Amino acid sequence: MKKISILVFGCVSSLVSFSQSGVNSSTFGMLEARWLGPGTMSGRITSIEGVNKDGKTIYIGTAGGGIWKTTNAGASFKPIFDRYCQSIGAMAIDQSKPSVLYAGTGESNMRNSVSIGNGLYKSTDAGDNWTKIGLDSTEHISKIVIDPTNSNTVFVAAPGPLWNDSEHRGLYKSTDGGKTWEKALYISDKAGCADVSLDPSNPNIVYATTWEFRRLPYLFNSGGKGSGIYKSIDGGKTWKELTNGLPPKPFGRTALALAPSAPENLIAIVEAKDTKMYISKDGGENWKEQSATLNVVSRPFYFSTLVIDPKDPKRVYRPAFSFSYSDDGGYSFAEASNEGGWVHSDHHALWINPNNTNQLYLGTDGGVYISLDRGVTWIFVSNLPVGQFYHVAVDNKEPYNIYGGLQDNGSWYAPSAKPNGVNNGDWTALYGGDGFWTVPDLTDPNLVYAEYQGGNMSRVDLRTLKSVSIKPQAGAADGKLRWNWNTPIHVGLKNPRNLYTGAQYLFKSTDKGTNWTRISPDLTTNDRKKQEQENSGGLSADNTSAENHTTIFTITESPLDENMIWVGTDDGNLQYTTDAGKNWTNVSANIAAAGIPAQTWVSSVEPSRFDKQVVYASFDNHMYGDHKTYLAKSADMGKTWTLFKSDEFTGFAHKIKEDLVNKDLLFAGTEMGMFASVTGGREWFRMKNRIPEYALVRDIAIHPKTHDLLLGTHGRGIIVVDDIRPMRDLAGEIANKAVHIFAQDPQPIRDGQFGNGGFPPTGGWSAGNPAGIPPIQYYLKDRIMTGDVKLEIYDEKGQLVQSVPGSKRKGVNKVYWNQRMTPNKSVAGGTKMDRGGMVAPQVLPGTYTLKLKVGKEEYTQPLVMVHDESNTTYSKEDRLAQHASSMELFGMQKELNALIEEVNGEQKLLKENGDKIKNEKVKKLLKTYNNSLEELRGGLLATKQTSIFADEEQLRERLTELYITISTNEARPSNLQLERIKVLQGEIATAKAKHLAINRQYAEKVKQAMAKEGIKPPVLTDPTGK
Amino acid sequence: MKALKLAFLGASLLGTITGFSQTADEVANKHIEAIGGKENWKKVKSVIMEGSMAFQGIDIAVTTTAVHNTGSRQDLTIMGQQNYIIMTPTAGWMFMPVQGQQNVEPMTEEMVKKGADELDTQGALVDYKEKGHTIEYLGKEDVEGTECHKLKLSLKGGKVTTYFIDPASYLLIKSTAKQDVNGQELEMTTGYSNYQKLPEGISVPMTISVPLGPGMNADMVLTKVTINKEVSNDLFQPAK
Repeated sequence: MKKISILVFGCVSSLVSFSQSGVNSSTFGMLEARWLGPGTMSGRITSIEGVNKDGKTIYIGTAGGGIWKTTNAGASFKPIFDRYCQSIGAMAIDQSKPSVLYAGTGESNMRNSVSIGNGLYKSTDAGDNWTKIGLDSTEHISKIVIDPTNSNTVFVAAPGPLWNDSEHRGLYKSTDGGKTWEKALYISDKAGCADVSLDPSNPNIVYATTWEFRRLPYLFNSGGKGSGIYKSIDGGKTWKELTNGLPPKPFGRTALALAPSAPENLIAIVEAKDTKMYISKDGGENWKEQSATLNVVSRPFYFSTLVIDPKDPKRVYRPAFSFSYSDDGGYSFAEASNEGGWVHSDHHALWINPNNTNQLYLGTDGGVYISLDRGVTWIFVSNLPVGQFYHVAVDNKEPYNIYGGLQDNGSWYAPSAKPNGVNNGDWTALYGGDGFWTVPDLTDPNLVYAEYQGGNMSRVDLRTLKSVSIKPQAGAADGKLRWNWNTPIHVGLKNPRNLYTGAQYLFKSTDKGTNWTRISPDLTTNDRKKQEQENSGGLSADNTSAENHTTIFTITESPLDENMIWVGTDDGNLQYTTDAGKNWTNVSANIAAAGIPAQTWVSSVEPSRFDKQVVYASFDNHMYGDHKTYLAKSADMGKTWTLFKSDEFTGFAHKIKEDLVNKDLLFAGTEMGMFASVTGGREWFRMKNRIPEYALVRDIAIHPKTHDLLLGTHGRGIIVVDDIRPMRDLAGEIANKAVHIFAQDPQPIRDGQFGNGGFPPTGGWSAGNPAGIPPIQYYLKDRIMTGDVKLEIYDEKGQLVQSVPGSKRKGVNKVYWNQRMTPNKSVAGGTKMDRGGMVAPQVLPGTYTLKLKVGKEEYTQPLVMVHDESNTTYSKEDRLAQHASSMELFGMQKELNALIEEVNGEQKLLKENGDKIKNEKVKKLLKTYNNSLEELRGGLLATKQTSIFADEEQLRERLTELYITISTNEARPSNLQLERIKVLQGEIATAKAKHLAINRQYAEKVKQAMAKEGIKPPVLTDPTGK
Repeated sequence: MKALKLAFLGASLLGTITGFSQTADEVANKHIEAIGGKENWKKVKSVIMEGSMAFQGIDIAVTTTAVHNTGSRQDLTIMGQQNYIIMTPTAGWMFMPVQGQQNVEPMTEEMVKKGADELDTQGALVDYKEKGHTIEYLGKEDVEGTECHKLKLSLKGGKVTTYFIDPASYLLIKSTAKQDVNGQELEMTTGYSNYQKLPEGISVPMTISVPLGPGMNADMVLTKVTINKEVSNDLFQPAK
């Protein structure tokens, strides 16, 4: 009966396993991501808060990379918000109890690409643990202030949703430390709260600015009747609008600051028909207009930071397009010096250490800067890997290069691996502006295509970084070309000689962008009312190509057929051609039939590499206030679509990617996470394993040779998961096995891929390298809680080569075997560490057996080790010679260790028994014997060295030097090295002979003398040497 | 830094075997039950743990000896050299030639004060209130695929450790400890596995892992654990 039920259960479970793969992020165990960063150009910073009393604990809030904390003023940072929404709008520290922090998600620098938050979080342990405490639907939070006299009172300014009307905006107030919230100031579903300040001398006095704003996919408006400046003198119960001396309404966004040391002094930058600065000396009752520089009043929707020194009411800072400061309360401004280097433009955050007001931390579109002279000069903080990539691409060099363009930081490339690891300095800027598609020409390793906003693309020669503009121009019948902010540049997947780009038309070049052919009609809806970008901005004109619309947004040539091209637009069209552009089919109605709203952006399109009928696409409708994750597949050339569904999905979708090898393995990147499916899209799970859980994943690439998965994130730089082949395997039945050793490629024998330059990197962001020796990977269905796991490697004769402790985590485990034998065990008694005991000879090419022991079970798998053919200076014959010498020295080391152990043993016996002897003569004899042994021992290994700076070298050290040199050299041993082996062999023989002589001289005598004393003689080495 | 981590391994090892208020008290009690029960743990007067750390075929022999509230000593044999760390309620010493130390060095007052909490062989969670410690339940968090109970233990001396406890077995999977050492915040993560029941009725993890970098661990594998063997107080004095 039992057997039957087990059988039935077995069948059921296999059925279940068909419908439920059970695969999730934990299945991939140690297949963990590496953060390539870099910190070179860093990324947009939105908020900086420091702990006043120590001046060195500082929190950095970023536009798309979460929160980073330093406890050493910036020498090192660690991310502390990786399980939550990565877009940070504002933070606040309870300075009376600095372990209490608030983080408001959703940046409020309302640019076209701004992300979206999901509420307010609180930590009571300095950021180790966070709890979401509400305001979930505010989407954008611009400021949080805590009543300095009562920590339970907290105000949160929420501009609220950018793309739609919403009641979830305004000034929120809590009087119970964030447990409950009420709206203290609410204007309308169109106008939220942009700024809030408390009078520190009387926190019942509250100033708030309100802001009416809206984005549409094709237009931005800042300003309206809902904007204003308000004051409350009863802690936010009642409000009065401040108008006296201020310009006529409507207003746009107002930045307001009060002087903490003289809080009746206020400054406001008021966006209006004529944007100006206004100064009040009576708590906002009266205002005086003050003309200011362009920097002070520029782009109010994007530059909303205005700070007055905590101690000096005359010192005013205006971080904006550039950094301005005033020493006279705002009447005049100076600009930061560029002495010490350029400071990245576009500033959004400033923290001044109140106990040392010379010390400033500035947040820009290109990272954090520190000033120690009140903002005159700046030092760049190069260890924050929070770059905002729009796209990522790879080439086919070895090691391959990684390319990408970033928000306000141009286009860059870097090697994926390099001696000393990939560090900040390995990244090369190759093109300016905001960077987007940065695509290598796969037919010419010196060329790359890059662009800045609005389709301004060039062909860049990587040898010189000289660029040639290749932007297509409008023909006579074309009308004005409409280029997306983030214009697609595409190199053909089937035929890499094909280069594509798109305005409203698709253009193709077969000569590297020199000449173009228009190969489509207008593929967009060409809706004229979405083409009035010159009216964009509202009160302040803002037409930077960011709102360009009815444009082509994504292009992909089928990997199976160069005549099949799919094109998606930002206004909902998805079209394909099967004859290289002669005829086009629009499938947008079919997409709508599947439940995707009309005019949704087609964010990516992915024709399958396995079946020409199959195509995947991702869609982004957030610009119409819809944040759903739209990912879909068609198996009939777009006629019918299936929408992928999963409870795991969060965030609007940017990218869908099919694996290069396993058709059931799919990846999707959204504004809030990285997702994968091993069941062709039937089930999805969130990828974790060191990928921030809500990472803004804009683009995904897979390298065809190394099988690396690369994520272009909009706030965490480039993230790579090295070698995803186990994921491909786990897409099959393997995930249901209890234990599985993944098939290993033949491993070239080498001490890693690269050497080592000696010094570790200082400063900056260091991404290291992929593993220099490939790990041995195995899968455990469940975590092993009881029982041990180890991996043993056996040679062809069945001899154990090395035993390596195995990890026991659920999913993929990695074990690193150094391709060497087991070192000889070090013997005790020296004053120097036996470095030779850390090294064993490298194994020779051959077939080895991996034996994985999991508890009492054993699993075996062959492992083929091969000569490293990539090392052209080291032949197979050289390897054999090196190995022979290494083995010889390994044997000599063993021999010497045995001799030292014998001497140690004899001396131990003499010491233990010597104390029992009374006869002075015998005592003396023992002493002489022991002294002779000690003298011998002193020549065998270092016994006197007191410091590493006063080196002592004896036989062990001489042997170690040669042994380590030869056995770690990837080279044939030299003539003198070989000769030296003979010399040392002679020295060992001499030492052994000396030992024998000493024992011949004393051992028997000592035995007899001790026997006479009535002491059982010790078992000393046989004087005959046997 | 690695050497420093090594030095702290002793403390965390002891922390495990000794180691340890749906509420904080519930989780703590279930955990204590899972590792053998309060009564059995309260009988533990001394612990001797023998084992080794293996890395690229190199073995580092490690023996940890602890007598309840009296002293602990960790001996490490590294490439032929003897190293030790001794901690008592009133003093401590460190002799780590592996770090270039040539003499036995006394621990600072601060280290001794913090170390004193770690001399509890019966587990900090057992009768934690009487001992002056506090615990807090922090909800659940994923640890390598297991949604663990998260329990924060603040020792009387100031050290804060977060325990990640498997909800099925109530065994400890991972701990993270934070300490302020010489003005630096040191965080130490330790993994625990291969739980074995001892004749005394208590269960201990026979493998303790310290991460060295992404995907790399230093594993200490215990071969023998002896409970309540007589230990001479001389052991807790440094060799002259």
